[in-house]
Amino acid sequence: MSGSRMAKRHLSRRLIATTAATALIAAGVLAGTASSANAASVRTGGTLYFITHAEQFDHVDPARVYTGRDIAFFNSYLFRNLVSYKPVKGAAGASLVPDLATNTGVPSNAAKTWKFTLRKGATWEDGSAVTCQDVKYGVSRPFATDVITDGPQYLVGALDIPLAADGSSTYKGPYKKTGQDGFNKAVSCKGSTITFKLNRSFADFNYALTYPAGAPVKASKDSGDKYDLRPYSNGPYKIKSYKVGDQMHLVRNKKWAKKSDTVRTPYPDDIVVRFGLAEEVRDQIILNDQIPNTINLDGLQPANNRAYFAKAEYADQRMNVYDPYVRYYAMNVSAGKLDCLDVRKAVFFAVNTQALIDLSGGSVFYGDPGDSPIKPVLGLDYAPTTGNIHDPAWDINGAPAKSKSLLAAAKTSCPTTYDKATNPAKGLTMDLAQSATNQKASVLIKQAMENAGIVMKFNFIPSGQYYSTVLDDTKQNDLSTVGWGADWANASTVIPPLFIKEGGFDLTQNWKVPEYAAFKTKSDSALNETNRAKQAKMWQELAQYAMDQYWIARPVFSKQQFSWGSKVGGVFYWEPQGTFGFGGLYVKR
Amino acid sequence: MKPFLEVKNLTVSFPTEDGLVRASNDVSFTVARGETLAVVGESGSGKSVTSLAVMGLHSRRSANISGQAILHLPTGPMDTISATPEAVRKLRGKSMAMIFQDPMSALHPYYSIGDQIAEAWALYNKGSKADGIRRATEMLELVGIPEPGKRVREFPHQFSGGMRQRVMIAMALVNNPSLLIADEPTTALDVTVQSQILKLLKDMQKEFNMAVILITHDLGVVAEVADRVCVMYAGKIVEQAEINDIYYKPDHPYTIGLLNSIPRVDQLEGRRLQAIPGQPPSLISLPKGCAFRSRCSFSEQVPDNRCATEVPDLNEKLEGHFSRCHLTETQLTRARSLAGSK
Amino acid sequence: MLKYLARRLAATLMVITLVSMSVFLIFDVLPMDPARLTCGKGCSPAVIEANRHRLGLDVPVQVQYGRFVKGLFVDRQYGDGAAAFSCPAPAFGYSFNRHECVTTLIADALPVTFSLAIGAFFLWLLIGISLGVIAAKRQGKWQDKASTAFVLFGISLPTFISGILILLMALKFRLIDPIEMGRWVSPFESPIGWAKNFIFPWLTLALAFAATYTRFTRSNVLETSSEDYIRTARAKGLSEKVVLRKHILRAALAPILTIAGLDFAGLLGGAIITENIFNLPGLGRLSIRAVLNDYDLPVIVATTLLAATFVVVMNLLVDIAYAYIDPRVRVA
Repeated sequence: MSGSRMAKRHLSRRLIATTAATALIAAGVLAGTASSANAASVRTGGTLYFITHAEQFDHVDPARVYTGRDIAFFNSYLFRNLVSYKPVKGAAGASLVPDLATNTGVPSNAAKTWKFTLRKGATWEDGSAVTCQDVKYGVSRPFATDVITDGPQYLVGALDIPLAADGSSTYKGPYKKTGQDGFNKAVSCKGSTITFKLNRSFADFNYALTYPAGAPVKASKDSGDKYDLRPYSNGPYKIKSYKVGDQMHLVRNKKWAKKSDTVRTPYPDDIVVRFGLAEEVRDQIILNDQIPNTINLDGLQPANNRAYFAKAEYADQRMNVYDPYVRYYAMNVSAGKLDCLDVRKAVFFAVNTQALIDLSGGSVFYGDPGDSPIKPVLGLDYAPTTGNIHDPAWDINGAPAKSKSLLAAAKTSCPTTYDKATNPAKGLTMDLAQSATNQKASVLIKQAMENAGIVMKFNFIPSGQYYSTVLDDTKQNDLSTVGWGADWANASTVIPPLFIKEGGFDLTQNWKVPEYAAFKTKSDSALNETNRAKQAKMWQELAQYAMDQYWIARPVFSKQQFSWGSKVGGVFYWEPQGTFGFGGLYVKR
Repeated sequence: MKPFLEVKNLTVSFPTEDGLVRASNDVSFTVARGETLAVVGESGSGKSVTSLAVMGLHSRRSANISGQAILHLPTGPMDTISATPEAVRKLRGKSMAMIFQDPMSALHPYYSIGDQIAEAWALYNKGSKADGIRRATEMLELVGIPEPGKRVREFPHQFSGGMRQRVMIAMALVNNPSLLIADEPTTALDVTVQSQILKLLKDMQKEFNMAVILITHDLGVVAEVADRVCVMYAGKIVEQAEINDIYYKPDHPYTIGLLNSIPRVDQLEGRRLQAIPGQPPSLISLPKGCAFRSRCSFSEQVPDNRCATEVPDLNEKLEGHFSRCHLTETQLTRARSLAGSK
Repeated sequence: MLKYLARRLAATLMVITLVSMSVFLIFDVLPMDPARLTCGKGCSPAVIEANRHRLGLDVPVQVQYGRFVKGLFVDRQYGDGAAAFSCPAPAFGYSFNRHECVTTLIADALPVTFSLAIGAFFLWLLIGISLGVIAAKRQGKWQDKASTAFVLFGISLPTFISGILILLMALKFRLIDPIEMGRWVSPFESPIGWAKNFIFPWLTLALAFAATYTRFTRSNVLETSSEDYIRTARAKGLSEKVVLRKHILRAALAPILTIAGLDFAGLLGGAIITENIFNLPGLGRLSIRAVLNDYDLPVIVATTLLAATFVVVMNLLVDIAYAYIDPRVRVA
């Protein structure tokens, strides 16, 4: 039943599901935004339900939460961070506002040092004040890699703490306290001011602090692994009960003071997340508006999704938006693989993009062809590229003639690779996660490649092992299907992860080719660039370079759909998190 | 002697996909209390079918039955063929009882001997379960089972074949029936046990003054217990007579054949037993004429090929001696002696 | 009899031990690597090794097994330093995915699965045996034909289809509250709430099983009816009702006991499909989600072992019950 469980966090919050995601949609239509005329009192009260097929939240422990949806959910209800995204629709949602801190952070020393000062009045469930030490303790937890798994590693990687020989931090977290001195130097409290010392210039460090991994944790309440079931709240709600496979029940945190919090607007009295619903039950609740005060945390199954979006009466109970992901085929450029530009281009032009989009739900629900690894939702960092899909010869249905001419060139420019790509006894191999949709996709791809004279073979990998297999550079084949989304509104969370070896998700293996050195140098300087406009320009140029090198094929800017019941108000799409702006949701009376 | 059971023109047939099987065809006989009638024949000759019809044990759905089987009860005569199933059921066990060929399979494997006998007793007697078991114990003792008090609690599989047949007899007789039908009661047993059971039957008959119908394919056992004999072949009675007449003056070539297949202690050494050659005819399509013709060594002696064209009637050739054969008495005498010297 | 019981009990324990060893061996040789699967983005070899240590997979399989067995008798310790904690004996391990001791997870799931199994069990026996007896008694008549149709329907319709159909109908006619459905309600607190929760799952399972039992009962009743001892029972003068109830059914249903016992044991291991369709948090859902979601080895091992144990133990119980029912199998 749940083969389509999201690909998940094993590597990154923004790593896409290995099986085709159900969803998505037309232009970024935002629906159901409440009229500001409604008085808050009209919105207050009631029970808001969330339903999902999932058995549980992947994680609840702030240090381990790593999917956009869960970050948005818990930041809205339970965890306050030093800074937060502004809970509004549109591009403005990607701007930072102070939350626990009095401002969005003060960088110094070329953005290698960041200071935040806590505001007064923020409290825990028991009424005790949220202190600088709490923040420091919270930040220390991700270093305990033997307890805190799956969480984002931005802080671990960025804080100026000595590394051990194997590349891991010498600080082993607050449980073992090994290397505690190193950590104390990197993160220090003076009164209510916390100072972070970083090992490099990190112009968008405050964005990394929007992750709950940078949120305070009260040391006396830390229960290690079990903290993932019952974290201590400093937000407007607290956990009344949470049972995996059953439900999570949030009730108002009486100790939360509205005046200490300029970000949150807690409307419902009760919030109940119901887990483990059969997909059919979940879909029927939405299709029949059976529980009107319900929000679907998942997508609907494809057929139900089409039916739901076809109904005019549900126009205000759905949205179809671009998700944070770019889905593409990474081309392995290492020697002996796709080490020939002409052959890579031939593959790029041969793909029948439209047929593949149609297979996954069509342009309306699945997405549009993209021209960059950076998605337009990143705003500043995206610029249309040249070449690739803008080449007059490119065709959304595949351009076999263009591919053939490129192959003809390859015959002389790189005969070995040409032979590999065209020789039926050899051929190129694509890695795919095992799924019914991918099985069908492979047939379409094979056909399109054949039309262009390219021989394509497929390596199906069980979806649970997909990424661990292809990320092993000795096991990865010529092409691998991938999806990636930015961790925050800066391509520093796109270009380095995807095209720099240390980024952790470089499936092009480009570090094995000569062009890499210059690329890395430029990427590093972009990371260190504190002038945001200059930085954006550099990311755009690097994206253009990656496209010119044809390191990726068939990029698709994908979409996702959301659905909810008729009694839910205040819905908007929170762009930086790629999900609902949970804080604004209320139950219509 | 006034008969207790009077069977008249009893015909039992079973419709099958291949056609109507006439298992028992126009059968008539009587048996009185204190008397033992042996019904003899090969398997498939209709003897069991006839007795089950009398007992009302054929499923009315699968069997077509016509004729009469009248029990002369103290309350008046009752035809078990035309009576309602419920009326016939109330005669079973009480007025007529039956024991079967294979005592191994005829007792319920899951219930103790005592339970099974007590269950039969409780049908026609008022009393507690303990009374039933006590009565069962008495019956076991009566039929010669040692340690009845202990064995009454045991299960069928703990008994030998002969003992089980004794149990069956005890169970059949627990309500003192007027008629006992014993269907091949000794066939499945060792020779030594056979005669014990036959003796027991005889003793019980005296004890309860029952009419007994002994069904068997073995003329040998008949001599020990029967007063009269019916020989059946292919669903019909072919000969019926006093026991001595059957043994010394068999009137039908089939009876003669049967007699020749009995091992006898008085027989001369070296004389071989004669099995009757051939197979009985199909009961679905009986041949025209005499059903035994194809196996009969004497049919050529009958003029005009009558054996092939004319079904012989059951004629009373001597008083009380009926036979269904075209041969004349003279021819038969020769046949008897011929068979004897072969 | 006591000696026999002791012997069977010893053999059963032996089988369970062997099964538990096999389970460990099987999951050891499978190519899945939970240490890798639960590793986050900064997945250096050091982190993977730390994970492996955390999950207790950094020692040879026989040591893992030893720890498992020890945990059944002695509290089991996890983690280091301030993050250390333990699962009280009998501990089947700890689920790092659900953050609970596996024993707790099973204790939570077991009543659900047991409720599902027991209700379905009685329902399908009732339906299956009644229909089977009626069909046998009315052999060839419309009742027989109707029951044959039911059998074909029940056998050919897979649970995941019949379950969804029943679910959709129940939803359509608003017979269940979709948001609350499947949530555990103790029968001791609210028998009605409990039964409401299970009625449709019971129907789903009963439909599938009843078909088999109808067919089986019918053929057994027919077969038994032609036994000599049934003729004997009739010859005694017993009424048809008594013959059927006391003589035919006793013998015809005895072999069904064996199958029913094993089917019941199988269900106790978890009715994966039905539990998933009806949101029931039972063992089936626990085990399948453990496989699908995170390759949660301790849960997979425990549920597999538990399912096998149910079957083995039920086998023993069935044999003992059978000896009670059929005196022929009783050991002298």
